[in-house]
Order: sequence, then C-alpha cells, then structure tokens
Amino acid sequence: MGKVKSAIITALFVAAVAVLAFFATVSFGLPGGVDTYNSFVANIHLGADLTGNAYATLYPEGVISTADYQLVANDEENSDSEVYAEKYLERGGAYVSKDKLGYTYVDGNYVEPAEGDKTESEFKASIKHDAEVLLKRLGDKGYSSYSVLVGDEGFSIKVSLPTNFSYVEYKESQNTYSSDNLADQISAINVLSYSGEISLRDSNTYDGSNSVVSVIKHDFKSFFSGASALTRGGSSWILINLNDYGFEKLNEALGNYGGSETTAYFYIGETCLGLSVTIADGIADKTLAFQPSNMTASAVQDVAILLNSAIAGNEISNVYNDEAENSGTNVIATTSKFGAYAPVYLFAALLAIVVAAIIGPSVKYKKLGLVNALSVLIYALAMVTAIMLIDIQVTIAGAFAAILGLALLLFSNIVSFEAIRKETLTGRTIQASVKLGYKKTVFAVLDIHVLLLVIAVMLALIGVGEVAAFGFISLIGVIASYVLHWFTRFMWFVTSSPARDKFKFCGFAREVEDDED
Amino acid sequence: MKTNLKLSSKMHLFIIVSSVLIALGIMVGVICHFVANGYFNYGGDWASYKEVTVSYAYVDYSDESEVIEICNKNFSDCGLKYQSLTTGKSSEGGEIVYTFSIAADDTQLSNAVVLIGTAFNGAIQTSVSAHTQEALLGGALTIDRCCIALACIIVVHFLYFVIRYKLTMALAAVLADIHNLGIFLSLLSLTRIPVASSVLAFATLTLLITVIGTSLLFDRMRRNAKNEDLKKLSAFEHADLGANECLTLNLIIPACLASVAALLFVLLSISSLSPVVILAPVFAALVSFISCAYGTVFFTPSVYSRFKLLGDNYKSQHARASKTKGTSK
Repeated sequence: MGKVKSAIITALFVAAVAVLAFFATVSFGLPGGVDTYNSFVANIHLGADLTGNAYATLYPEGVISTADYQLVANDEENSDSEVYAEKYLERGGAYVSKDKLGYTYVDGNYVEPAEGDKTESEFKASIKHDAEVLLKRLGDKGYSSYSVLVGDEGFSIKVSLPTNFSYVEYKESQNTYSSDNLADQISAINVLSYSGEISLRDSNTYDGSNSVVSVIKHDFKSFFSGASALTRGGSSWILINLNDYGFEKLNEALGNYGGSETTAYFYIGETCLGLSVTIADGIADKTLAFQPSNMTASAVQDVAILLNSAIAGNEISNVYNDEAENSGTNVIATTSKFGAYAPVYLFAALLAIVVAAIIGPSVKYKKLGLVNALSVLIYALAMVTAIMLIDIQVTIAGAFAAILGLALLLFSNIVSFEAIRKETLTGRTIQASVKLGYKKTVFAVLDIHVLLLVIAVMLALIGVGEVAAFGFISLIGVIASYVLHWFTRFMWFVTSSPARDKFKFCGFAREVEDDED
Repeated sequence: MKTNLKLSSKMHLFIIVSSVLIALGIMVGVICHFVANGYFNYGGDWASYKEVTVSYAYVDYSDESEVIEICNKNFSDCGLKYQSLTTGKSSEGGEIVYTFSIAADDTQLSNAVVLIGTAFNGAIQTSVSAHTQEALLGGALTIDRCCIALACIIVVHFLYFVIRYKLTMALAAVLADIHNLGIFLSLLSLTRIPVASSVLAFATLTLLITVIGTSLLFDRMRRNAKNEDLKKLSAFEHADLGANECLTLNLIIPACLASVAALLFVLLSISSLSPVVILAPVFAALVSFISCAYGTVFFTPSVYSRFKLLGDNYKSQHARASKTKGTSK
C-alpha cells in the first residue's frame, strides 16, 4: 500500500473517531441558549448504585407517618391536635391508631388491651405478609436492584426501586422535583400494592357493583392459569389465560348472569383495573387479551404481575396510604449512596482504564501500540453508543462487563502480537510473521469469543435485571472485541505499509540478521 | 514471564486448601444463618439498617444544606456516625435520610432525634424520626433466573469443550467453574463482606473469567499435545508446561479487573465519604477475581493432569486391547 493511500485511510478513521468521541462525551448548549445537546454518555441509563433509588413508605390503614402526625399534633391552632394526641401512639418512627393495638374505645376513653390480646401482633403479622407478597411482585418486575423493608417495629413498609435515570435526568432531579421522571416507579408502587382478591364485577365503580361470578359457588382464582404482558411494536397487551375449568365456568356464569349491566370488569379488591369483558358475548377464547389505553409498557407489566400474583393466591390484606389522615404515597428520588457524584467518578475510572489500555501497549509496541490504541478508542465509543441506543441500564457490575470486553480485546491483540514477535525471532520477515502469528492464534481467539458470545446471549435471554444487563453489555463487548481484533490487523497493514523499518514500527528487536539484506 | 512451577505434584495441597475454604465458608455461613443476620452478611439493597429521616418543607427551609448542617452537628454531639446520607426532593420540600448500621445504639439515635427536633423548633412542617428497617429477602425472579443462567453457562462450557477440545479438558473446565464459584461464595461467607444484589452479576463475572482462563489454558495444552517434541512428556509435565506458559496471561485479566475495582473503591470512597457503603460491590468483585486467579492458574491444571493421566491410560489400554484382538484374529 502506498504512502498516500495509507495516510488517507488512517486520517479518515482518526477523524471519524475524533468526531464520534466529541459527540459521545461532550454536552453543549445549542445556539439560542435554550436547548442543550446531551452527549451519549449523559444519556445512558444508570442503576440505583449510581443514581440512587426511588422510595416510598407505605402505611396501612390506622398508621400514619411522623410528618403527618406532627403536622397536626404540633399545630396548636388545629382543632384535631388533641384528637391525634389521644388517638395515636408512637411505634418506631410511625404513629399507630390505638384500635390497631388492641385498645377499645369506651365512654370517650381508650382502654388498654387485656393481657394476651393479639390484635397488635396479628396486625404486624399481616403487614409482614403484605411485605413478602410485595417483594415477590417487585421481584417479577426484574429490577436490577430493589428492596422491601419492614420498618417502624413492623408497622410500615418501605419500598425502594431504581430510578433508571440517565445522568441528565439525575442532575435535573437533584435540582427540581418532577413526578413525570418517576412515572414508572409511582405506577409500580401503587399498582403492585393493591390489596384484595381478584373478582369480576358488573360496574366500573365498586360501590353498588355485584360480583358476576358467584363467590359462594366458585373460587374465581382457580379459573385462571396466569397472566402476562405482551409488548409489540410500541403497543402493549395484558393476556389473562383461562384454564379448561375456568373457560367453561366463566361462560356459564356470564350466560346465567341476570343483572342489567352489559359489561363486566376485573377488580383487585375494590380497585377496578379497567379490563372488561362483554357479558352477552361470553368468552370465545381461553386467552383474554386486553389493550389498555393510556398505559405505558411498564404499567401494563405491573397490572399483569398484579393479576398473576392474585391468581396464585398471593394477596395483600391491608390497604396502604389510603386514609384521610395520610398524605398519600410520596415517591422520592434520592441521591446515590455512593455520593451525588458517583456517576462522574465511575466515568473518571473508566476513562483512566481506557487511557491505561492505550498507554501500556503503546510503550511496549511503539507505533503498533498506537494502532491498538485506535482499536481501544473505537471499542470504548462503540460500547457507549450501543449501550445508549439499546437502552441498557449500567451499574458498577455492568461497568466491569464492559471492562472485561476491553480486556478481551487487549488480550486477543497481545496474544497475536506476542506470537508474531516469536515468529520474527526465527528470522522471518514482518509480513510472514504477521501472517503466521495470526494463523497460529486464530483458533484460540475464536474459541474464547464464540464461547463468550454464546454465554452472553444466554445471560441476556435468561437473566433478569442486572444479570441481563450484564449479559447484553458482555455481548456487545465480545462482538466489538472480535471485530476490532481483526480491525487491528487491518490497520497494522495500512499504517505499517509505508514504514521503512517495520521491526522498529512494531517495537520488535531484530535478533536474527535478515537474509535478504 | 516464564515460570517453572510444578503444579501437578501439588494437586492434593490445592484440593485440601479448596476443601478447607469451602467447608469453612459453609460452616461460618450456617452458623451465621442461625446466630447472626444470615448465611451471608447482607449489605446494600439486601441490608437491614437504622435510619433517621428528616422531612422538610420549603416554607421552613429553602436550602437543604441548612438542614444537613443542623443534623450533622447533632449527630456528632450524640457520638453517632452515619453510614450514608441521601437526599431527595418531593413536591413540597425534601427528605434527607441518614443510614446507620443495624447495631447503632437506639438511645443515642433517640437522643439525636430529640435534639434535631428541638433545633427545628418553629419549623412546623419539618419533622424528624428514627426508623429500624428490616430487609426481606428471597422469592425474587432475579435470583432464580441468575441460578438458571449460571447452570446453563456451565453446561455450555462443558459441551463446547467436548466438541472443540477433549472430554478430559471439558471435565476439568466444568470442575474449574464449580470450584471457582464455590470458592467465590465461600469467601463471601467467610469474610462477611456485605453481599447485595450486585453479587449475582459478580458470580456471573467469575464464570466468564473462568471460561476465558480455561480456554486459554487448554488451547495451549492442545497446541502442545500436537507438537512432536512435546509428545514424549508425561501427563504431569504436559499440564505443568501448559500452565506455566499461560500463567502470566491467566493472571493478567483478574489482576487488571482487580486494579479497576481498587481504583473504583478509592474514587467512590471519596465520593461517598464513607468506604463502608462501597464495600459490597467492590469487595465482591475482588473476591471474584481472587477465586478466578487461584482456581484457573493453580487448581485446574493440577487436577487436569490426573484427568489426562486417566485419559491416556484408558487410551493405551484401549489400543492394547484392540491390538490383542487383531493379533488373535
């Protein structure tokens, strides 16, 4: 290859990398001063370990938070302050209504519970059971990290979910509160904490509605084999599957229904889910498909998980944050436990690794090291771009998957470089050594990549949450590593062609006198 | 770096070390399951903890740093040191959550809450309360699916090695997977490093590094086996030669990843001002790399040497038997 051709190809690649690197890492204000261009890196969604959690505390009926209690009890002008002081007792960091603790209200006074009264312990046991059901429901969502904690001596439940913020959204959330940013988390906490059994009722308002299927004759739950969510091309469906028994009995119940309403609605407890069947038409298929309007894919998944849980008999028994005394479910996005600047520090660490991956081989292999550096840079940019486009949530473990891909690229290149160095020591020319070196290492490199590729695909398909994200990042890393391994060989050829001393170009010592000279 | 370690002769030592580590891990885990807070020392999003929550309204305090200053002063007056501090905004104000170890003294916490409450005197919409949060574990789809994925990785690793390499190598590779995973889990239980949900990803990472390590090791051995000059070597010498040739390369990936973990630990400790909270993911990563380095570099070649010996013996017996058959015919 001629000097000019080599220079043009090299310049084109370097320019492309420089432009991509600029857009991938630099955010800047657009002309006009209103809009901002956010870099690829700033648009990557980050896990809870980097951008914090969204949490909410759930108080069952009869329990209120310290804030709600103090707002009234400490306000001397509020007429209810004395009522609060008399009605509630402090338990942990919450205030519990005395009737939930076994007190009885007699002649305007609360009388202490009798010895051995189990009201309090039963109430706490029901909250713990609810927390366990909620844990299972949230587990089915496949979050990268989440927690359900029973707090305040067993009288409240704290639910914590990842915010899934990008760095831009994270910075914004630290300055101003916007419930729009947390819509999915608010939906998940609200929907998954619905209490009660599954039922089919003849009105979309609970008061005055009747159950279409007789609960005395049938266990309605046993009609179903499960529920699932389906998302295709931006539209989402909830699929409820009837078993043979349920198909027969539900059609029978709808046929026998004597009420005036024409539509029946699915309920969980007293909450209408907005999924309806036409009573007169009966059920034609064992799979009931509903396409809820105005619901995101995440919200549809929430409803499917809720239905599945209720069908399996995992029901929440208490109603949460629904009392007049309660200020409602307040979902709050927090900073990361690793500090407000955790994403910046992670980015700095990754940058340091990329720099080390560039400098190390450059010192050992001279100009060949720079060819390797170009591959490393392309790898880093490819990872950033792919992670942003595929919308993979990055956690600290995910960052390690990306580094593993980089290590694989360096490892593949170094194994080949060393094989070539060995060949040069036998007196071969650089061209012959490169050919033979790559030939000798081709299967070792291919085997590792193919095996890791299969494993990464499996992890991405089987894993959930952080493991799935880890699998996707590994998949991109393995593909990028293999492609760039051969790109390095191509660029080696391109850049070394005009070099007079190819041994010097590669940093290899010429140990044996060249016969051709 | 060329080494001349006689790893195959030390197989019994490695088996003893691994068995002792795994047995100790299980023992400590089981004891802690009954007397402490679980088989592993659950941390991060799986941890129980105590917290002090301060809810403030903008009408009382427009700047959260003012609230943080009041709280910090009172915590230090009460001799309390928090593990982490997170802040969040709500529609009318904000919440600041201070997290303490589950072993933090309740009386000290109550005193701090009273002192902070007194300092907020007059701020009617600002409240402070102490809570004990007990984490619930188990029943999660994430854990179930991760276990299935890990099992699938081991099966794929075995099948691929059976096809591309040899049965003895495939067996040694599977043993390496199970061994490294076992050592990883035992070290987590033994060292009581906080374990959070990120441990699932690190368990996966352990297997990935093992796959890379064993691929490299057995590729080298496969190449050596084809070399006419090396064909005369015994099974032990053959395993030692392969292990020594790729010892450096097999140590490089875990060592590089361990340096990254150390770098992250330093940087995130500066960021969080408390190294305790960053322990869970970073130490889990370090344990993963240590298990991989030990398992792949030392344990696997030594065990493989026996597998190879068995395989070679079987082959020669088989060859002898067919030769005898041929002669008698």
